[in-house]
Amino acid sequence: MANGSEPVGLKRRSISGGAGSEAGLVVATEVAWPRSAERSESPFAQGVRRLRRSTTSLIGLAIVLALVLVAIFADVLAPQSPIASDQTHTFERPSRDYPLGTDQLGRDMLSRVIHGARVSLAVGVTSVLLALLLGVPLGLVAGFYGGRLDGGIMRVMDLILAFPIYLLAIILMVIFTPTAGVIGTMKVVGAIAIVRIPIYARLVRGSVLSVKEKEFIEACRALGQRDPAIIARHVLPNCLAPIIVTTTLGIATSIIVEATLSFLGLGTQPPTPSWGWDLKANIAFIQANAWLSLFPGIAIFVTVLGFNLFGDGLRDALDPRLK
Amino acid sequence: MRTRPLLLGLAVFLSATVLLADASLAAEPKRGGTLRVSYGNEIANLDFHTAPGYEMMWVAMNVGCGLIDITPDGKFVGDAAESWQVSPDGLLYTFKLHKNVLFHDGTPMDAAAVKFNIDRMRDPATKSGMRPFYEPVHSVEVLDPRTVQVRLKQPYAFFLHMLAAYRTGLTILSPASIQKFTVDDRKQGKPGAIVGCGPFKFIEWVKGSHLAMERFDKYFVPGLPYVDKVVIRVIKDPVTEMAAFKAGEIDFIASFSPEHVDTMRAQNPKAQIMTGKETTPMMAAMKVTVPKDGKPMSPDRAPHPIFGDLRVRKAIGCYGIDRQEIVKIAFKGQATPWVGMAPPGTLESVNVNSMCPYDQAKAKALLAQAGYGPSKPLTLELMTNTEKSVFNVIATVIKEQLGRIGVTANIRLVDKVSWMNTTLGDGPWDMYVEDLLSLLTIDSNGYLSTAYVSTKSSAWSHPRHTDTKVDDYYARYAKELDSAKRKALAKEFLEYMADNMYWNTISGSPFYMVAQPWTKGYTYNAEFEVHWDKVWLDK
Amino acid sequence: MRTYMLRRLFHVVPTVLMISFVVFVMMRSVPGDPVVSVLGDAYTEEDAIKAREAYGLNKPIVFQYFIWLGKLVQGDWGASILSGRPVLQDVLIRLPVTLELIVLSMGVALVIAIPAALIGALRQNTWADYTATSVAMIGVSIPEFFIGVLLLLAFSIGLGGLLPSSGWVYLPGTCPTMLCGVSLWGNMQHVLMPAFALGVGRAAILTRLLRASMLEVIRTEYVTTARAKGLSEAPVVFKHALKNALIPTVTVMGLQVGFLIGGAIVVETLFAMPGLGTFGIDAILARDYQQVQGFALITAFAFVVINLLVDLTYTFLDPRIRYS
Repeated sequence: MANGSEPVGLKRRSISGGAGSEAGLVVATEVAWPRSAERSESPFAQGVRRLRRSTTSLIGLAIVLALVLVAIFADVLAPQSPIASDQTHTFERPSRDYPLGTDQLGRDMLSRVIHGARVSLAVGVTSVLLALLLGVPLGLVAGFYGGRLDGGIMRVMDLILAFPIYLLAIILMVIFTPTAGVIGTMKVVGAIAIVRIPIYARLVRGSVLSVKEKEFIEACRALGQRDPAIIARHVLPNCLAPIIVTTTLGIATSIIVEATLSFLGLGTQPPTPSWGWDLKANIAFIQANAWLSLFPGIAIFVTVLGFNLFGDGLRDALDPRLK
Repeated sequence: MRTRPLLLGLAVFLSATVLLADASLAAEPKRGGTLRVSYGNEIANLDFHTAPGYEMMWVAMNVGCGLIDITPDGKFVGDAAESWQVSPDGLLYTFKLHKNVLFHDGTPMDAAAVKFNIDRMRDPATKSGMRPFYEPVHSVEVLDPRTVQVRLKQPYAFFLHMLAAYRTGLTILSPASIQKFTVDDRKQGKPGAIVGCGPFKFIEWVKGSHLAMERFDKYFVPGLPYVDKVVIRVIKDPVTEMAAFKAGEIDFIASFSPEHVDTMRAQNPKAQIMTGKETTPMMAAMKVTVPKDGKPMSPDRAPHPIFGDLRVRKAIGCYGIDRQEIVKIAFKGQATPWVGMAPPGTLESVNVNSMCPYDQAKAKALLAQAGYGPSKPLTLELMTNTEKSVFNVIATVIKEQLGRIGVTANIRLVDKVSWMNTTLGDGPWDMYVEDLLSLLTIDSNGYLSTAYVSTKSSAWSHPRHTDTKVDDYYARYAKELDSAKRKALAKEFLEYMADNMYWNTISGSPFYMVAQPWTKGYTYNAEFEVHWDKVWLDK
Repeated sequence: MRTYMLRRLFHVVPTVLMISFVVFVMMRSVPGDPVVSVLGDAYTEEDAIKAREAYGLNKPIVFQYFIWLGKLVQGDWGASILSGRPVLQDVLIRLPVTLELIVLSMGVALVIAIPAALIGALRQNTWADYTATSVAMIGVSIPEFFIGVLLLLAFSIGLGGLLPSSGWVYLPGTCPTMLCGVSLWGNMQHVLMPAFALGVGRAAILTRLLRASMLEVIRTEYVTTARAKGLSEAPVVFKHALKNALIPTVTVMGLQVGFLIGGAIVVETLFAMPGLGTFGIDAILARDYQQVQGFALITAFAFVVINLLVDLTYTFLDPRIRYS
């Protein structure tokens, strides 16, 4: 469907709401199709090639992949159980047995940091995916069918966006009551996801609106194509790129929000290993045992950096006009 | 020439003079300056007679005045009362007030004012938490403007203790101000609404920012207070608080987190870190009864499915917890493992640790008797709140210890308000870890552990046991004026409580205050007496 | 255009009210109520029931909301159930602190972003470019409270207490209470670390935006003319890029306000600042309903108004956009 005769426009989407740092960006709703000899290459192949050239994005990708591996194989990688406390070995200094030392309850910090990757990644990815799964259909429906349905959906989205991200997340967590374990993690995921849904909804809706104006939609309908097919074939590919970028950057934001919620005591509760919680709980001992607090902090930093670098790289790759 | 001994003598003489001069210089308190105090928690409100929380009480102790105070070794000293007498039968307490005790608005603080305040505390309409302790009071009489007499219905061995330091004890506010202003005016600290008779006059309270008070020039003790002003700030994060202390931004920390004491000591080797024998119990409370019909706070009780059985209470609370280990991990050994209801520092406290040694075998045996074992494992919920991080540490250790005797404890961490709602509101809970209150005497623990038999019973008795023998003990103990008999009664009482595990103490909960090296003149008496009138700043 | 603006303005009040209603309902869905804290030691079930009646807490939620709304319309924001303090009074006392924090945070973000963008644009695709953008990227990857803690360690605990760890000194002339420290220097000292902790994360986006704008300017004739004249590029790029980027920068900053308000909660908590952030979180945790309403009201209002301005500015930029 891509053909070079369409005007390559950079539509600035008004995404009012500050809930996502990437929401305020000038987002290209159309991937730029350059008129060049390389036109025969699919846009994604072009994107991938650009991506490969960018070292920072590759670094980001490497970090992300490493993280995913660590999270998946946490049980194997971690030398000990992250929640088993050993009362006889509290506050051990880093050594062969305990590469990152132990905390106040004798738990091995390295194992906690490794398993913490699981929680952070789970929260980051799941919350964003959940927001995506709920937000994209909402945006599609709102944009495509317009009218009162659009008005209704966007009212709710505006309401959520009208809240500063942390305020809403905090109140939601206080309502859900922070707990430990998988349920506790799911609560955090839910709270963050709710806050992010409008970003996707608005993104997709904007994209749909821009495509709707085009005549070929009428043509498709005239040809007998049904709405879902139209959506799938013509609308979605347009917003795919921004969605991917938003998702990657969104994961980074979610991880930070989770860490901040934990700092305020409203995230996943112990003994579930959580970077945010470990950071906060061990700040007290930062004089004598600084690594207990610093390592989770560094872990958060590296992870978020990885997603940010990669996400940035993706954005540049998929729309070099923004560079 | 015998120069050596001569020089030596000269040296001794000179050093002696210098030392003496230094000592006399050091003994002379300097007037002036602002004492900057830091609190770890927010002040609830400024209605001295009803507000909860030590933060408010410490303000009340300096802005208000009482009749008497108590010293760290348990002796009474006069505050507004110059002298007092107790009749031999213990029913008549006569207090003679100082001359020139004035309220901050210039009106005299006299016997009528004392009567007004005591009657106010006794009045159910005031809703003071101290009211149960004023039960024994029959009437208050004004004998002359400087003499007030309290008549009790029955002997009360701790009347003076109560007046001195149960919570705020008796804090005397100006009757005129009480009549002129409403409770809400006082709560928010409206200008003119808080008129006390203490060394400091209230200036203003900006919640979240500071509370300020300044010297009352006409304080009845000449020369006091030394400092011009006291400014209290709330710094909740201990790391920030320590940073402020190290940088010299605050002079006095009114309640310091025990977890950070080592760090504080390391950062500030010259700081005065004050503590004493613990007067607050760290508890692993167990719920004894639940409402029969499911309606919270119902006086119809049924035994709690797990802890209604005494054998289970003893298995877990008495023999199943290794108190030594908890103290080692949670407090780095700087607390006392304890079983008795009254912590080590409470007056007439008794050590009943021998009644509950750590004994896994015994615990398992009792559990088996109660029907639990590998075929029917015991699972319970261990609740704690986020007010102090040490609660969670202790809960985690207990969880691990209970695992050793085959019991699964699931930790539920909630915030303080939720915790209060659940425990006070007779909500569902099995076991919780918390340190409730600082106890001056065994008697002061009454409303926290009496039987729950009607909706008028104290909601603070969280375990909700229905054993009225406990109430009898409290009554007898309070009435016993003979010190030897009372101590024997205390032993019997505390053994009874331990034997029935209505109250499960794990250890004392240490309390710390920290002062800069230049903050002098403060007398430490735990949470009970926090007075800044004699404090002076040596800089 | 005019009708669109009027329509948006017209929507401000209902939006804010809607938010306040949602917050109202959410707070009452939180388990636990403040009566336990209010009664404290004297808590008995009887008194609790009476207290709930007295504070109107047992009426239906919608009812309670309209009571609150009724008072609000008359200018009464209610009083804290715990401390009795009037909410509006406290909000007004706290507002300047948070306002200053947010404004200066954006300042910090700009101070980082402008040089980074300049370097990136002038030395595009070189190591300097990558470093500059990386610095901004690093800032956005560290949680604000962690930066705050590191700053505390470095400047308050370490370095002999160079900067104060907590509290506040007001700007001359702005003391809202009887007693406050007032001094420009003191104020700067107190706001520096918090503003930095909060602002560092916002620099990344600004860097990207400014850099893009500067690159556009470079491609134009301004720069070639300057080069021909023998002038250095940097000031020229800077001047024209700034003109170009002014509106988008301001709009992006406006959109960041959401993050800033939330981040302010965390930073203010860490540095014990008497601002709206600590006001809000304390109120939420203590279930102080009236205070939470006050906090939500002012936050939502500021937020909605700023978003409105941002949207209107976008309309100026691109009138082709149709708003359904």
